[in-house]
Parts: sequence; C-alpha cells; structure tokens
Amino acid sequence: MNTVTIILLWIINLVTDTGGQLAFKAAAIENKEAKGWEHWRHMLKRPWIYLGAVLYVGEFVAWLAFLSTVTLPEGVLLGMAGIVTVMIGGRLWFKEHFTRPRIIGISLILAGVALVGLGG
Amino acid sequence: MSSRTYFIGGLLALLVFDTFAQVCFKLTALHAAPLTFDLPWLARAFSAPWVYCAILGYACAFVTWIVILRHIPVGPAFAATHLEVVGVVVISVPLFGEVLSWVQYLGAVLIVAGVLCLAYGEPNYPPGSTVEENH
Repeated sequence: MNTVTIILLWIINLVTDTGGQLAFKAAAIENKEAKGWEHWRHMLKRPWIYLGAVLYVGEFVAWLAFLSTVTLPEGVLLGMAGIVTVMIGGRLWFKEHFTRPRIIGISLILAGVALVGLGG
Repeated sequence: MSSRTYFIGGLLALLVFDTFAQVCFKLTALHAAPLTFDLPWLARAFSAPWVYCAILGYACAFVTWIVILRHIPVGPAFAATHLEVVGVVVISVPLFGEVLSWVQYLGAVLIVAGVLCLAYGEPNYPPGSTVEENH
C-alpha cells in the first residue's frame, strides 16, 4: 500500500481517537450539579456522548485498516501519538495545564508503551 | 473523594474491567478459531459465553471512564489508561503462556512509573471541588 494511504489512515485514526476522548470529556463535565442517574440521563439527552460513540466506532475501523498496512509494533508506535494529541486537545478545549508531573508522567508512559510494542 | 483518589481508584477499576474484557476477548477468539471472517466464525464467537463477559467488561469500563473524566483532566487520564497495556501483558504470561522480553518488562515498569507520576501530580482537592479547579 502506498505511503499516502498509510498516512491518511493514521491521521483518520488520530482524529477519531482524539475526537472521541474529547467528546466523552465534554459529556462527562456538562451539568456538574447533576449526580448519579440524573447525570447519566442528562448526558443521554446531549449530543456529546453519541458523537464520542460514533468516533469510537470510526476509530475501531480505522485502526483495523491501519494495522493491515503496518506491522503491530509500527502501529503501536504511531498510535502513541494519540496520547499527545489528546493532551493538546485537552489544553485547547478544556484549558488543562501542562504541569511538570504531567509532562514527565506522559513521557514515561510514551517510552514504556514504545518498549512494550518494540520489545516482543 | 479527592481528585487523586478518583485518579488512583478509578484507574485501578478501569484496569480490572479492561483487562477482564481483553482476556475474555482472547478466550472468545480461541473458542471461535480458526479465523475465517464469515458467518460461521461469527456464530462460533457469539456461542462462546466469554464474548458476553467481554461486552459486560467493556460496559463497566465505559461507565468508570465517564466517572473518571468528570473529575480528572482528559490528557493525563487518557495517558494513564495505557496502564491497561501492563495489565494485559502481565496477565497473558500465566494465562496464555506468552513470553515477554526484558525490554517489555522494562516498558511495563516505565508505564507504571509514568502513571504514579501523573497520580502524584494530581492536586489533592477536598471532596466537593469542581472540575474547573482541577485543570
């Protein structure tokens, strides 16, 4: 398969993965006063949780297609970019901070996932 | 509960549900083998009780994830969910006889260290704190 198709599948995977996580976050933090079932009823009336679910299904398909074009270690390595894009998305949308423990922690996790993926 | 408690407790619950679901998927795949991508293969998969356990595990993981996201920033929380990699890798050794290299063990240790670092970095806000305080 040509490189353009592989890059396109990777980008679709990243967009659906990141978009899905951000949509679930948006669903989770709406209506902060609601508790328990009331919170879930509110979420089910709003679009975010459905957008997240649709993007999740899209990501599943994109991931399968992507993995059919690259080896599993390559897929795991390239898929790790999602950790970074979700963090950037959280910063842009929800104004989350890049604190030192978070940057160190996420860097360690990135290195660890890379070693687990490559070390087989 | 403080946000740090949500981070650690929620992640551990997520780890249990996710690992349970992945193990059930693996058992389903073994039950449905050989992989033929046709209706008989699907029928074999859905005749295994494990596939329903996997769906239950995913449902519980989803509810846990939403609860975590309500209290924890999505960036660190999503990174920390990669603790699942450790859970699945570690449990696959005794359960499925898979062999891990020392590099993979080192990777698992780094993931755990990263998650502990993220947990330590979460502010220990008292109960009742709003999510805006916890960015």
